[in-house]
Amino acid sequence: MNLLIPLMVIVPILCALFLNLLHKKDRTIKTIAIILALILPALPILANYGLHYFGGYAPLIENPTLSSNLPSLITGTALNTFHPAITYSFQGAQKIFIFILGLVGLLVVFTSLYETRRPSGVYGYMMFMGIAALTAILLTDDIFNLYVFFEIAALATVGIVLVSNVKGNYETALKYMILGSIAAPLLLLGIALLLGVTGNVNITDIIYSLKNGLVNPQNPVLLMACGLIVFGWLYGSGLPPFHTIKSAIYSKALPSGAALIQAFSVFTFIALGIIILRIFSYLPFSQWVILGVSLLAMILGITMAIVQTDIKRMIGYLAVGELGYIGIGLGLGTAFGITAGLFQAVNEAIITAFLFIGFGTVLYQTRISDTRKLGGMMARNPLVALLVLLAGFAMAGVPPLNAFQSKLMLIQASINAGFPELGVIMILLSIVTFMTFMKAFHAVFLRPKPADLELKNENIPKATIVALVVFLVVCLVFGLFPQVITSYLQPLATSLTGGIV
Amino acid sequence: MNLYDLIVKKIKDIQGAGDDSAITNMSTSSMLTAEITLISSILVALIMLRMVSKILMIVAVLVVLLAVLVAMPLMPRFKKEQNDSMDSMLFYVMLALAIVITLFYWGNLNV
Amino acid sequence: MVIDVQIASLFTAVALIIIGIFAAAFLDNLIKKVIGLAFIGDGVNLFLIAMGYKPGGIVYIYLPGMAAEWFSQNAAYPLPFAMVLTSIVIGASTMAVMLGIIIVLYKKRESLSAKEILGE
Repeated sequence: MNLLIPLMVIVPILCALFLNLLHKKDRTIKTIAIILALILPALPILANYGLHYFGGYAPLIENPTLSSNLPSLITGTALNTFHPAITYSFQGAQKIFIFILGLVGLLVVFTSLYETRRPSGVYGYMMFMGIAALTAILLTDDIFNLYVFFEIAALATVGIVLVSNVKGNYETALKYMILGSIAAPLLLLGIALLLGVTGNVNITDIIYSLKNGLVNPQNPVLLMACGLIVFGWLYGSGLPPFHTIKSAIYSKALPSGAALIQAFSVFTFIALGIIILRIFSYLPFSQWVILGVSLLAMILGITMAIVQTDIKRMIGYLAVGELGYIGIGLGLGTAFGITAGLFQAVNEAIITAFLFIGFGTVLYQTRISDTRKLGGMMARNPLVALLVLLAGFAMAGVPPLNAFQSKLMLIQASINAGFPELGVIMILLSIVTFMTFMKAFHAVFLRPKPADLELKNENIPKATIVALVVFLVVCLVFGLFPQVITSYLQPLATSLTGGIV
Repeated sequence: MNLYDLIVKKIKDIQGAGDDSAITNMSTSSMLTAEITLISSILVALIMLRMVSKILMIVAVLVVLLAVLVAMPLMPRFKKEQNDSMDSMLFYVMLALAIVITLFYWGNLNV
Repeated sequence: MVIDVQIASLFTAVALIIIGIFAAAFLDNLIKKVIGLAFIGDGVNLFLIAMGYKPGGIVYIYLPGMAAEWFSQNAAYPLPFAMVLTSIVIGASTMAVMLGIIIVLYKKRESLSAKEILGE
């Protein structure tokens, strides 16, 4: 059933392209979009593990009929094992990541269908296109293919921001694109340098060349390539110095769009982080850089979050700060640490989407995101208030919700690896995260309602509440049975070890 | 003038007269929390330097502690620095590019 | 003195990237900024092409009658060229979106100054 692997990318692209053909038949579009979105999380569950070679070009070693006619110049060397096709690799970790991406995508599409005026149009197109791009980024084993989808994801992000109709969205989108047009070509330059040194863009082959002495790993050009790829990683996932623009992007999108964009950043972070670890883990320096950047992201993200007055901006900065936790897991370099980091990534993608959509109900009702002008929403919707409160608990790491498990694992991993300081900082920042959340929660839900606050929409769509409940259930399940998830992530983590400790 | 008024005055001084947003009780306390978080996490992070050398760690912690105490309300300045203007973003992006490349290129060659 | 074509192209590519970054950072006019960004992309593309250059190489199309060994030793490396094509397409679409946004902003603000539009 390996045909399902390319379908994971093809289905969302087809959704994006063909839903707009039915423009204005709203009811049909809603049904079809929900059915197709349901396929997104279902596909990774149904698919078997394996590799998919586009065009069917398997490595020569697996294709004896072809290789028997070729001269020994080709078959006798490493060329025999290289991957000529763009290869998609689908393993346990990818299964979980794509499932979570599909789930967030499904719920975001579901809420946006009922919260926006028109279900078809650019917004849906951009969301599906972004999901397709991120799925491809997670699957691909070809670093240039990754770059292509990286750019598509950036364009989809910009598209989601442009259609949001929030004040100042064009300016922010242009800033994001200008910064992106500097960072993304430099990422491509890094890939080009890798290609120049190793003659390959397939990551497995690059590692083969490095490990088997085909290429001198101490070649300074490779150091340059690593630096440039790290820079692209900073841009793609919104780590400092890109944290300001990334949080601005979150705050200028609709809440459902922001929920999806943050999932994009989390999975870009994971995909590129894994690639940096896979290729450059022999440079002890690369892991120190990952650790340092993650620490900086945590400290700057969370301290900036607490001084914001706009709810979306606040959650945006918190999302950046939480990325730091994942990075610390990856940077520790132990199998346990990387498992914890990947688990934290899975949890964060869900929880931040939960928070964005939860606070999004307030925005839907009032069209105001400034905490100073809001208040008293609890009386109107106690159920939503409870769900948002639980989302905040989940983000801060309160048991029995999911981030508790991953943060506990991260702290244990950092102590085992000999960095108890990291554990201390993580606990400290978790507390501040909770305080930031409580500040927003108090301002929006608990405080008495200001006299001049008007409600634009009285009722929250049922779909949004259903989506929030689904998020809560996922958080609970992951929190109660963490082994289910970590058992999928463990093999990848073990293959990435060789860290600084 | 009690301590709270002093803190509010400091924040006001740094934010400048141009910023018309009122400094409420809540914003002051969050600024204070952010300040304490920032300082304490930087100091704890500096302890990691013990991997390199213990003396360096002690010196670095003391120097940073002194520097922080002198420049005390850091957070209003940090907030002002991390604004949304294109120029400051570009500046920090360029700075980060330079730092990353320098660190990778020379850091790895000479270790 | 004959300058090596490949080295010259690589230096041109680096010069383009540096000029592009300079323009993106220091020019105020948004259109000029975008031109600078185009320079960065072009520089990287040129770098890729220059990397695939092989002195005296032939086009990488296997014609009937060619000895496989001779072909594999003399053909240029095809991958960078394929990559550059894709990269140009991506660059063009990014550019189109950016210019589109600039048009909208110009209609709204009647100005192209980055300081004015993209300030705080």
